[in-house]
Amino acid sequence: MKLLTIDDSRTIRRVISGIGAMVGFEVLEAENGDMGIKVLEKHGEEVALILLDWNMPGMNGLEVLKLLKADPRWAHIPVMMVTTEGEKDYIIKAIQAGAIHYQTKPFTQEEMATRIMEALGMGGL
Amino acid sequence: MSGPDTTELMNKLLTGLRLAVTEMMTSMAMSEVVFAGQESAESFTLANEVVGLVRLDGQLHGMVGVSCSQALLREIVSRIVGLAPDELAMEDLLDGAAELANMVCGGMKTKAQIGSVNLSPPVSIVGQEFIAQWKTNRPTTVFTFQMDEGVLIVHASL
Repeated sequence: MKLLTIDDSRTIRRVISGIGAMVGFEVLEAENGDMGIKVLEKHGEEVALILLDWNMPGMNGLEVLKLLKADPRWAHIPVMMVTTEGEKDYIIKAIQAGAIHYQTKPFTQEEMATRIMEALGMGGL
Repeated sequence: MSGPDTTELMNKLLTGLRLAVTEMMTSMAMSEVVFAGQESAESFTLANEVVGLVRLDGQLHGMVGVSCSQALLREIVSRIVGLAPDELAMEDLLDGAAELANMVCGGMKTKAQIGSVNLSPPVSIVGQEFIAQWKTNRPTTVFTFQMDEGVLIVHASL
């Protein structure tokens, strides 16, 4: 099983890749929604969880989330929003659109690792 | 824009900003940071080697900048991504400066609980010698944070 991080910041993609490795997952990386879809088209069957940023050039995270949930090929893959947007309105919109978890940046390694395990139904650390 | 509502909003954002810097440094960079003071400047002037900038619009317009030396940024980004400082390329520093500003501003908004202020995509500048100055309607609040490896400065014109 692999994780997919879609985030325009290579810093954040690296952090998530490191945390993913720490909890035993290979992490695929995409810097925007379009690239994320391309990664899914190639590796979709192996992706167990998508970690999705909100503010990105091109499609924003909410638009990407809606696109994923509308496509039967990817609709079943759980999505966790990972974003600096921490207001209630944003969280509600993301949950209504199908996100199962919402993690604000900044975060500690332990927080993110726990969130990943929870999202995968493996319990916290 | 002025009046009690705006002043309250500005105060909430400035308090949120100060807290967000400490939170970001302790959680993402696992670094000790000590608030070392606050002052008001007439203009928004940046003269450090590294800057991350975010514009604010919506109920309140303004700009927030995070600046430090290149050596300090290298150390901070190194801690965040888990690579040695000398393994980081210029692209890592540019992205790191932008993401620091982005996280600080996001944290500021969340802590202030203000949904009516939007953040622009971050801009980053990494150079050796420059002075950048913006014309703003209001004085700039300058927060100084002391870290073991140097000083981090956060500028906010709201």
